[in-house]
Amino acid sequence: MPALLELQQALRRQLLGDASSPGDAPRHADAPQSGDAPSLGDALLAGEDSALRLAIYRNTCLSALVNALRLSFPAVQRLVGADFFEAAAREFVRSSPPASAYLNDYGAGFPGFLSQFPPAAGLAYLGDVAQLEWAVNRALHAADAQRLDLTRLASLDEPALSRVSFTAHPALNLLRLESPADAIWRAVLDQNDAAMAAIDPAGGPVHLLIERGAAGVQVRRLGAAAWDFTARLCTGTPLYAVLADGPHDDADAWLAEHLSAGRLVQFHAPAPPCGETRL
Amino acid sequence: MSGTVHQLSEHGLIPAAAGIGLRFAHHEFVVQARPDVAWIEVHAENYFGGGAARQVLERVRRDYPLSLHGVGLSLGSAEGLDGEHLRRLAGLVRGMEPGLVSEHLSWSVVGGEYLADLLPLPMTEEALDVVCRHVEQTQAALQRRILIENPSTYLQFRHSTIPEWEFLAAVAQRTGCGVLCDVNNIFVSASNHGWDAQRYLQALPAAAVEEIHLAGHALRVLDNGSTVRIDNHGGCVAAEVWALYVQALRRFGSKPTLIEWDTDIPAFEVLLDEAAQAATLMRAVAAEGHACAA
Repeated sequence: MPALLELQQALRRQLLGDASSPGDAPRHADAPQSGDAPSLGDALLAGEDSALRLAIYRNTCLSALVNALRLSFPAVQRLVGADFFEAAAREFVRSSPPASAYLNDYGAGFPGFLSQFPPAAGLAYLGDVAQLEWAVNRALHAADAQRLDLTRLASLDEPALSRVSFTAHPALNLLRLESPADAIWRAVLDQNDAAMAAIDPAGGPVHLLIERGAAGVQVRRLGAAAWDFTARLCTGTPLYAVLADGPHDDADAWLAEHLSAGRLVQFHAPAPPCGETRL
Repeated sequence: MSGTVHQLSEHGLIPAAAGIGLRFAHHEFVVQARPDVAWIEVHAENYFGGGAARQVLERVRRDYPLSLHGVGLSLGSAEGLDGEHLRRLAGLVRGMEPGLVSEHLSWSVVGGEYLADLLPLPMTEEALDVVCRHVEQTQAALQRRILIENPSTYLQFRHSTIPEWEFLAAVAQRTGCGVLCDVNNIFVSASNHGWDAQRYLQALPAAAVEEIHLAGHALRVLDNGSTVRIDNHGGCVAAEVWALYVQALRRFGSKPTLIEWDTDIPAFEVLLDEAAQAATLMRAVAAEGHACAA
């Protein structure tokens, strides 16, 4: 009689293949002690139907996970076609099943997988489009956050202001992509063949800001300097360091825009003698 | 957010009436048209994030009694619960103050990997201990009682020693949790395994049953010519399941009853028709005068 954990591990091998090697053959070497991993077939009751009934679970598991990817990567699917997408997604699911039952979090590794997927090597921008779709998906589902209270920021004294740093809204994402993936993504989703034909695939790199607004997720192109400024600010670099490293005439305007657009939701002004104070 | 708290208390409890499972396809319709539905249930995991989905749920919570139905906690995982998942669920429950919270007698996670299905448990003493421990852990984290739903299954394990209905009754008895009686699942599992659906219904602890689920299923012919019923939530409730529902109402009395539909989701009117059918049967059985909740 297999222990519950052994049975669940055996069923996992039946549904998605062996965790440590591709293919569906159970590998006895994975068993913790004796090398005698329980054979699921022997533990099942349903007799001659058990393999066919097991396939019902296998189909549900695979199709639910492939469908989760399909929902998050619609432009990738249109670029490669439904059959290609299904095959690629199944391979990804088998090699990287979700680490959580919160499926909106599933697929972070899919863009990297596609970039390394030999059958997709002919579409150099596919990985970039997938990265953009993943950022859009994250923006769509990220937690809500309160706007930054500007009156509290204004109340800081000069020494505190000189050390202030920010936390970005959880829905804000910044991407630098080698190809014009934003234009491709838009043309593909709009099914606009004329726009697609006009895109120079070598017309990158692009510097993108992806955020969630009242009207849904927005993807904007920034200039390289504005993107660098924003990226450093949003990853917690103190404002003085951002300004000192890349002085730019428009920095005031960028900061004002980020604050008014609600892209920065928290600030931190560490007091010099006793460490960081979170306000 | 703070403005919603006052209104939440007006719709605390789920009435003994027919509700509808809300899916994304009908978000806009429900928010705009505010259809006449006694209560609404959603899959908790669809609202773990923020943004538009969360806004819809807050709106639904103001307009309807709301039940949260979890599909990913994996109460039967031998390796323990995913603490982050439980934390997210607890956060949603705190924010929404739902009338009911439910999960499944099944497992979905092993080796830290989520297998995206409600998988069958062997009905053993070990599995019973695991499920009871996790139900208690969940009830402690949520600071409330939860309901556990009987699963639909296609496989049974040779080393199972406890009938599923006794297993579910034992979980309720040991943990104090309630039972969500999915009548379609009883019918599907009974058909697939040759069980007596009536006996299953009679064996459930009536006092613990707080909710009933109804859904459609499909009959599939396997390659060897045998048939299996698939719980696909993809159609109208079957005639045999309506008949079993009447038996359930006679045994448990009028209970909150949910219409679930998850694949090939039809127009909302079709769901309203199914809910109306459930409401009609609930009234008819109540009028028989032998509804007994003992």
